[in-house]
Amino acid sequence: MKAQAKYSYHVEAVDGQERPRRFLEAFAAILEHSNYGPVLEHYTRVSAKCSRCTASCQVYEASGDPRDIPCHRTELLLKVYRRYFTLAGQLKARLYDYYTLTDAHIDEMAEEFWRCTACRRCKLSCPMGIDHGMVAHLARWVMSEIDIVPKALLVSVREQLEGKSKNTSAIPVAAIKDTLEFLEEELEEVFPDQKIKFPVDVEGAKYVFFPAVSDYLMEADTLMGNAAMMHAIDASWTVGTQNLDGIDYGLFYSDRMWERIIKAQLAEIKRLGGQVMLIGECGHASRSAREGMQNFIAPEDRVPVVNIMELAHEKFRQGKLKLKPDVIEERTTYHDPCNIARTGWIVEQPRVLLRHICKDFVEMDSHGVNGICCGGGGGTVSIDEIHEFRMMIGGKTKAEQIRKTGAHYVVTPCANCKKQVDEIIKAHKLPTNRVGLHDLLIKAIDFS
Amino acid sequence: MEHWLEWARGPLFRASFAIMILGLLRVLVLQAISLFGLIRQAKRNQRKIPYAVVAKASLRWLIPVGKLFERRAVFSLTSVLFHICIIVVPILLGAHILLWERGIGLSWPAISMQLADILTLGAIVTGLALFVIRLSVMANRAISRAQDYVWPLLIVLPFLSGYLAMHPAINPFSYEASMLIHVLSANLIFLLLPFSKLSHMALFPATQLVSELGWFLKPDSAQKVMTTLHKENEAI
Repeated sequence: MKAQAKYSYHVEAVDGQERPRRFLEAFAAILEHSNYGPVLEHYTRVSAKCSRCTASCQVYEASGDPRDIPCHRTELLLKVYRRYFTLAGQLKARLYDYYTLTDAHIDEMAEEFWRCTACRRCKLSCPMGIDHGMVAHLARWVMSEIDIVPKALLVSVREQLEGKSKNTSAIPVAAIKDTLEFLEEELEEVFPDQKIKFPVDVEGAKYVFFPAVSDYLMEADTLMGNAAMMHAIDASWTVGTQNLDGIDYGLFYSDRMWERIIKAQLAEIKRLGGQVMLIGECGHASRSAREGMQNFIAPEDRVPVVNIMELAHEKFRQGKLKLKPDVIEERTTYHDPCNIARTGWIVEQPRVLLRHICKDFVEMDSHGVNGICCGGGGGTVSIDEIHEFRMMIGGKTKAEQIRKTGAHYVVTPCANCKKQVDEIIKAHKLPTNRVGLHDLLIKAIDFS
Repeated sequence: MEHWLEWARGPLFRASFAIMILGLLRVLVLQAISLFGLIRQAKRNQRKIPYAVVAKASLRWLIPVGKLFERRAVFSLTSVLFHICIIVVPILLGAHILLWERGIGLSWPAISMQLADILTLGAIVTGLALFVIRLSVMANRAISRAQDYVWPLLIVLPFLSGYLAMHPAINPFSYEASMLIHVLSANLIFLLLPFSKLSHMALFPATQLVSELGWFLKPDSAQKVMTTLHKENEAI
């Protein structure tokens, strides 16, 4: 038996000994204290192995590899659950040589659960409503407790929680302040009469802004659009320098990290006396904040979580955000980030804005709640080692979808999707430009 | 043979049917207990359960018209027809209702013999088709366990034997032999049902709710897991 497995992603593992025992200990602890037990109990009983999910998984459709079938992957964990945590499994193990958790089985899980983009599209085609994304989330949590977690995610979380910068990209606060000043100057050049600001550490501001920190590095247009929109609606908002990163990779692999990150973010809101947690253009940051706030924070301490596109839409409907119609002449399409669209939370809001400002807005063939993942979901986009997999398998369907629309712009309001779609466009040589929603909104805002 | 038939139709049927009912009640009660726990916890944490979403999804799957041609159309259509046939015939067949009336004095309207014949043939054809699909489609094979191959065949057996028993002209076996197979295979299904994936017939109504509540995490679960695994002072 191998002491330490080699996966298609880097792992910063220290202890390769006795992994099956440690896996079962971690699994037992999680089942004992969490709500996942009843869910697995239910799934083991109802899973009929009908294979309907095969037709809704873009990874399986592109790879044709049986291990990418959502139900196949889920069964890996259910098998362990059935053997060690149900009466029937324990009886069977006593009666005959039933099944024993091995190192090889753990390796299989480590590989398969990180090929899933956790987009949860398969849940919609499962007659039994099995949430394979939730099972992947749980399996990754158990594995992370025995040190099996992609290094790319681990070092980001370490920096965010224990590093100096308190953000996943380890950008020093001074550098971020410089960036914001630079962006203010840029905005002044474009809108000399407006004095659009990025308020920093303003105590008592209503909205405390948490974009994905990568926006500070790579998405200047999105950030300027965010600031212009907030200026146009005359919002009281601020960026907090002690914790400004909306990213929460806990959603992808560990409830423990999820909780710690949302608590650190909330502490910053409380420090500034803010009332609303405003998330930038990012799917997983929005979902992890909204659900994390409900999951881990006591009711009396919670603050509302709002995605910036929701806010723009609300103000547009109220007439407080004025947008010039048909400003964008080129054909434009919209990519739905799974974490905000799958449950129907943010589907129509950005479309209302886009239909107003774009002359030629087109939809992809499968969109909205039923949208197809960019292929970088569930944290996989951060893992550079699997770039080839993300391009040719995970992102293949998305590339075809974008190409079919013939769009000049694909609006991608999520930090993860943005990186993945950029790479897809390059790898598949698509004649499309990837933008954020606010990159376009800024061109249409009517400040008068 | 007749004694065997009497035994299978009498005590054996009563025992297997009782085991099915009690077994299904057991899983239902267990499910209800855990669901009530989760709902109580959600209320304690002042969380809103999206009942409308759950109800809508459950109804869409109970009457899966919109789902038929969405994905895997041939398989989906076969599966839905199969379910309709195997639910309707055993419950609404005149001969079965007569047995219930004799046994416990309860009766309900029956479907016509012609319709019962058509639906029985439907159950046989779709059941065999499901078996063939499972065997021939690579994706199905990849996720199938032994029981997944056995179930469609086992379910077809009482329909096939029942049909043959009712149609002596095409029946190569004696009436008693066909009837014995009919009753024995049905009893076996009843007996195994609550312990197998077929228990989804009872658990189905709440399945969407379970998936929804699964994401309602216990507020202190992460902390407790950390303590149990002695990771309080562990750096990331």
